[in-house]
This record gives sequence, structure tokens and C-alpha cells, in this order.
Amino acid sequence: MANQRTDLLQGTLELLILNTLARGSMHGYGIVQQIHEVAEDLLKVEDGSLYPALYRMEERGWIKSEWGVSENNRRAKFYKLTRAGQKQLEAERANWNRISKAVTKILQAT
Amino acid sequence: MMRAAIASLLKRHKRQQLALDVEDELQFHLQMLEQKYVQQGMSAAQAKSAALRRFGDIERYKRQCLHISRRSSSVLRRSLKVLLLLIGLAGLSIRILNIDYKISRVGVMLIAVAICGRLLLYVRGLPPRNPECS
Repeated sequence: MANQRTDLLQGTLELLILNTLARGSMHGYGIVQQIHEVAEDLLKVEDGSLYPALYRMEERGWIKSEWGVSENNRRAKFYKLTRAGQKQLEAERANWNRISKAVTKILQAT
Repeated sequence: MMRAAIASLLKRHKRQQLALDVEDELQFHLQMLEQKYVQQGMSAAQAKSAALRRFGDIERYKRQCLHISRRSSSVLRRSLKVLLLLIGLAGLSIRILNIDYKISRVGVMLIAVAICGRLLLYVRGLPPRNPECS
């Protein structure tokens, strides 16, 4: 199974994070767990790579963070989607659908 | 001199706080992973090394996060300076308008030039739309 894991395409991690946060506020560990769970561990993502992406997304105003207490009573930073992030998610979803449709068409044509 | 010393202390404190926050956040993630692996039956040592493997190069990610958060806070500081400048200029223009209509026209033009110049400097100082850092 390990060698069947696929590298994430550049820029896709942000779409996955936005989509995960659309479910509600989450800490970084929760976001990664959710992504691995839904993708059934088929994607090869280093957990740490999530954090620079989260910081960049916060800088762009797509998400915002606040410190809170985790389910096991530890101090943790929680992220949530902003209105701008919601719009970005819609735009990125549409973009992803366009790309995937185009690639599928090309593959079917050959 | 005193003001500069206080500003420098505050800046240092802010940098230390940012570093501590990043460290805390990444350590939380590692501990959650370790806990999960221990629950799956690994020994504490095995869980720790598995967590580190899964997380990737922690020092690199820490540096990247710090770089981005420092950059964001400096953009915020610049925005505040621009805002304060605009408020100051607005106050000045109101005072000039009250003194003399002719002088006010020159004043308003000067203020417009100053605002445009400052905005230009501000926009040039903004981070790129798609920043890459390592």
C-alpha cells in the first residue's frame, strides 16, 4: 500500500485544507487526520507541510486562527474559514473540476 | 532613545512569542501523533520516531512558519503606519482648509501627492501574491 500513495499536486493542499475547514474550526492535527481519513491514506503528505500552507493562507486572509483548548485539554491553535476563504474554496473547487474534466477528456481521447 | 529601547524590547518580545507559538503548535501535533501510535501498540520510543518520520523535517517547517508570520506582522505594522499617516494628513488638510481657500488648494495637492507616494511604497512592500519560502 505504501508505494501506491500518490504525491499531492502543487497547490492542491490548500484546496484540501479549505475544504476540510468548511466543516468547522479545527487544529492542524485534526485537519491532517481528516485529510488522511477521507483519502484513505492514499495521498503522500508530510504532516509538517500543512503548517507553512496554513500560515500562508492566514496571511492571505482565507483562514483565521485562535488559541484554544484541545479535546485532551492541551493548548492548541484552531483554524477557521473566513468569508474570503469560503469564496476561495468555491473558486478552487471550480478550477479543480475544470482541470480534472480536461485531463479526463485527454486521457479518454488517446 | 528611551522610546527606541522600548520599541526594540517589544520587538524582541514579539519575535520570541512568535517562535514559542510556532514551537507549541508543532509540538502539539507531534505529541498527538505519538499518542496515536502508542494507542496502536507501539513503544514510546517507536511512537516518537514514527511521529517524527510522518511529520517530516520539523526544523525546516518551523523556519518557514516563522518566516511567514514575521512577514505578516511587518505588513500589519506597515498598514498601521499608513493609516496613522492618512489620519494625520486628513487632520492637517482640515486645518489648512479652515485657514485659507487658496492655500488649501496647494495643501490638498501636496497631501494627494504624499498619499499616492506612500501608497506606492506600501504596495511595493507587500509580499508577492504567491509567495514561496524555504
